[in-house]
Amino acid sequence: MSQSRVVAAVEIGTSKIAVLLGEIIGDTGLNIIGHCVKPSKGVKKGEITDLDKASDCVHAAILQAEVNAKTRVDEVYLSQTGRHLIGNFHVGSSNISSPDGIVRRADLDAAKEDAKRRSLPRDRTYIHHIQNPYTLDGRPVDNPLSKEGRQLQVGYWSVHGDSEAVSDSLRVIRGIDLDVSDMIISSIASGVVLLEESEKENGALVIDMGGGTTDYVLYRKGYIVKTGVVPVGGDHITNDLSIGLRVARKSAEEFKIKNGRAYYESEDRDAKVWLFGDLTIGDREYPLAAITKIIEARVSEVFDIIKEQLESAEVFEPSEIASGVVLTGGSSQLNGIDEAAQRRFGLDARVSEGPTDVAEELRVPEYSTTLGLLHYALTGQEENQQTHKPSGLLRRLTGLFN
Amino acid sequence: MNTTTDILFSQDTAQTDLKIKIIGIGGAGTNAVDGLKLDNLGDVRLAAINTDAQALNQSPISEKLVIGRSVTRGLGAGGEVEIGKAAAESDRDGIARLIGDVDLIIMVVGLGGGTGSAAAAVVAEVAAKTNALVLAFATLPFSFEGARRKRIAEESVGELRQLVHGLIPLPNDVLLQEGEEDTSVLNAFAVADRWIGRGVNSLCAMLLKTGLINQDFSSLRSVFQDRGGKTIFGTGTASGGDYVKDALEELFICPLLHLGDRPAQLDRILVNVIGGADLGIAKVNEIMTQVTKRFGSREDIVFGAVIDEGRSQSLELCILGKAEMDTFVLPDAADPVATKSKRAVSTGLGLETEISLDTRAPRPVHTSKLRKKLPDANQDEFTFVDNEDQRGYFDKTDRNDYNDEDLDVPTFMRRGIKIKIK
Repeated sequence: MSQSRVVAAVEIGTSKIAVLLGEIIGDTGLNIIGHCVKPSKGVKKGEITDLDKASDCVHAAILQAEVNAKTRVDEVYLSQTGRHLIGNFHVGSSNISSPDGIVRRADLDAAKEDAKRRSLPRDRTYIHHIQNPYTLDGRPVDNPLSKEGRQLQVGYWSVHGDSEAVSDSLRVIRGIDLDVSDMIISSIASGVVLLEESEKENGALVIDMGGGTTDYVLYRKGYIVKTGVVPVGGDHITNDLSIGLRVARKSAEEFKIKNGRAYYESEDRDAKVWLFGDLTIGDREYPLAAITKIIEARVSEVFDIIKEQLESAEVFEPSEIASGVVLTGGSSQLNGIDEAAQRRFGLDARVSEGPTDVAEELRVPEYSTTLGLLHYALTGQEENQQTHKPSGLLRRLTGLFN
Repeated sequence: MNTTTDILFSQDTAQTDLKIKIIGIGGAGTNAVDGLKLDNLGDVRLAAINTDAQALNQSPISEKLVIGRSVTRGLGAGGEVEIGKAAAESDRDGIARLIGDVDLIIMVVGLGGGTGSAAAAVVAEVAAKTNALVLAFATLPFSFEGARRKRIAEESVGELRQLVHGLIPLPNDVLLQEGEEDTSVLNAFAVADRWIGRGVNSLCAMLLKTGLINQDFSSLRSVFQDRGGKTIFGTGTASGGDYVKDALEELFICPLLHLGDRPAQLDRILVNVIGGADLGIAKVNEIMTQVTKRFGSREDIVFGAVIDEGRSQSLELCILGKAEMDTFVLPDAADPVATKSKRAVSTGLGLETEISLDTRAPRPVHTSKLRKKLPDANQDEFTFVDNEDQRGYFDKTDRNDYNDEDLDVPTFMRRGIKIKIK
C-alpha cells in the first residue's frame, strides 16, 4: 500500500464553511475526493464569536464531506483570517563567517534565525514567516550559496495572530478529534492557486472579499511581500443597504445580488428597482442610485484601505504589479467590482475564474482558499522556500487544551 | 369592537396642572430650545444653561443661567470638557433653582463640545434628586467633526444613560439622511433641531392636550420608571393627500428606528397620534392596526391620539419606548421558547390599550416579549435598534476601528453621503 493520507482543507468563513477532502498519495499525487460547503454560524468578521455554533457547522461540513468521499479524514489544514492577523517585515542579517567570504548553509541559517528571532507578546502567535529574496552586500540574489560576499541579508514577511482567536479555531477542529497539521492564512492560500507562476513574477494583488473579511496578498517578483486582512466584507455591504434603505437584511441581500453594482453611475439617478417585484402589498420602489451609492462608498473604502496599507508598507509600485488585481471570494460576484478595483488602484483588475486545473465545480470562489490549503498540504510550506512555520507552534497551541 | 368607541370618545382632559420644563444645555442645546415652536402648549416652560454669557444673552428664552462664571468668566468652555464640568459643578445650587419643582424635565443637549457634554451630567444629577421624570434629547456629532468630539459624546451618552429615565440619542450622521439631497452642513444642524422639536412637541401634546385617547403622565412614567436602558424614538409626519398612509410610511422608515435588523428586547412603547379635527375614529383605528402589525403585540403598545385644532389634513406620529439591549441574544428559529411562548393577543382595540394603561401594575422594563414573538410573525421586517452606535448587524461585535473610524458603521454615513430612498 503506497503512503496515502486524507487531508481535509477547512475554511471557517463568516458566511460559509468550506471543506475539501484531498487524498495525497506519496509526495506528488493529489486527488480531490470530497467537498462540502455549508452556511456558517457563530462567525462574524472572520472570527469565531460562538464556539458551539461554529463547531456544529464545521463538524457537520466535515462529516458531510467524509460521507461524500466515503472515507475518514486523517488530518486537517486550516485557514486563518480576521482582523487579529498582523504582519511585519523583518530583515535578518549575518556576516559571512568563512575566511574566503563564500556563503555557506550556516550563514543562511544565521540570517534566517536573526530575522525570525523577534519574540512576540504572550498573547500573540506566529502563523507564517514568509521568506523574501536574499541580498548579498545589498544586491538581490536568488541563491546566495557558494557566492562571495561579506554580509548576507534576508527579509521575512511575518504574520502573527491573537493566540486566543487562533486557538478557538483549533478548538473547533479538536472538537471532532482531528488534528490540525498546519494553518495558512486565507489570502496566501487563495493566491497560490489563483495566480500563474508568471503572474506572481510580474506582480499581482489578490483580493479575496468574503462575507466578513477582505484578505489580500501582494506578490512581487514571485515573492509574497505583504498580506493583510480588512475586517469588512459582503456582510457590511448588506448591513449598509439594510440601514440606508431601511429594509430587512434579507431584502438588502437581495438588492445587493440582484441590483447591486460596485460603483455608481449617473444613469442610476432615474432608475427604480422594486423591493420584491411581485406586486404584493408592501412592495415598494427604490432608486437604483441609493443602492449603488451605498455599495460604492463601502467597496471603494475597502480598496482604499488596502491601497493605503500597501503604500505605507512602501510596496505599492504599479509598474511592479503588472498582472494587476485578481479578485475572488463571494463578494467578487458583485456586479462591477473589477471596474471599481481598476478605478481605485489604477491597475488592471479581473475577477478570477478559478484555477484551471481542477474540476469545474471547484472553480467557484467558495473553494479557492481550500484548494490553496490542499496545495500546501501537498507541497509543504518549505518546498518553495516562501513560507515557514516554526516547529512546535501547533504543539504549543494545541497544548492549551489539555 | 363597539365597546371601544366610548373610551375613544372619552372627554377626560389631561392633567392641566402638569409642570413641564425644557432645558437647553450648552450652545447647541440652547439653540435647539430657542427654535422650539410649541404649538398651542401654554404650560411648558423653557430654560437655558450655558457657560457662554454672550451667547445666552441672545437667546429669547426667559429663564437663563450662566454657569461657572468663576471658572470661565462667562466666556464659554471652549470645547474643553474639564472646564464645562468645573463650571457646572460650581453652580449646582443655581442649577437646582433653575430646575425648580416640576413633574417632567426634558433636557436638550448637543454632545461633543465642552459645556453640553459635561454640564448635562451635572444637570441630570441635580434633576435626579427631584421627583421629576427626566428625559434627554442628545445630538451626537457628525463623523466628520472628528474622533475627539465623537469620543467625548460617547462618554457622555454612557454617563447620562445612568442618570436620566430616558435618553434619546440623535446621531447627526443618521439625521443627515433625512434632509434634502444637497443639505449643507449648517442646514444639517438645523435638521437635528427639527427632530428635537418634533419629539418635544409630540411629547408635550400627548401630555397636555385633550385627546381622542388620552395618554397621561402616569403611562409615560411607567414606561420610564427605571433609569438606564435604551430609548426608542421615532416620528413620522405627513399632510395632504393620503396623509395617514404617508405618515405611517414615514414612521416606518424613520432612520432612528431602522438601523439594521437587530431585534431589541422591547417593553412597552407609547405611540402618539396628533391630528386635526378631521382625524376620526376610522383613521385612528387604521393607524393602530398598522402600527400594531408593524411594532409588535397590542399589549405592548399604549396608544394616544390628540386633536390639534390648528391642524387639518395632517398627521404626526411619534413613538417612544424603552428597550433593553444588554442581554440581547439572536433569535434562533430552532429556539424552543420561541415557538412555545405565543401569547394570547387581545382583541379589543382602544379598550385593551386603555385597560393595560389603567389597571395593570407597571412591569419591569427589562423583560422581553418581542424576542419570543419574533419567529411566529413577520416581525423581523421591522426591529428596533440601538440608535446611537449605528452598527446594525455588528452591534454585538467589537468595534472595528481603523484610523479612528468604526468600519462597521456604514461608509455612506461616515462620509455624509446622502441616500435618497424615495
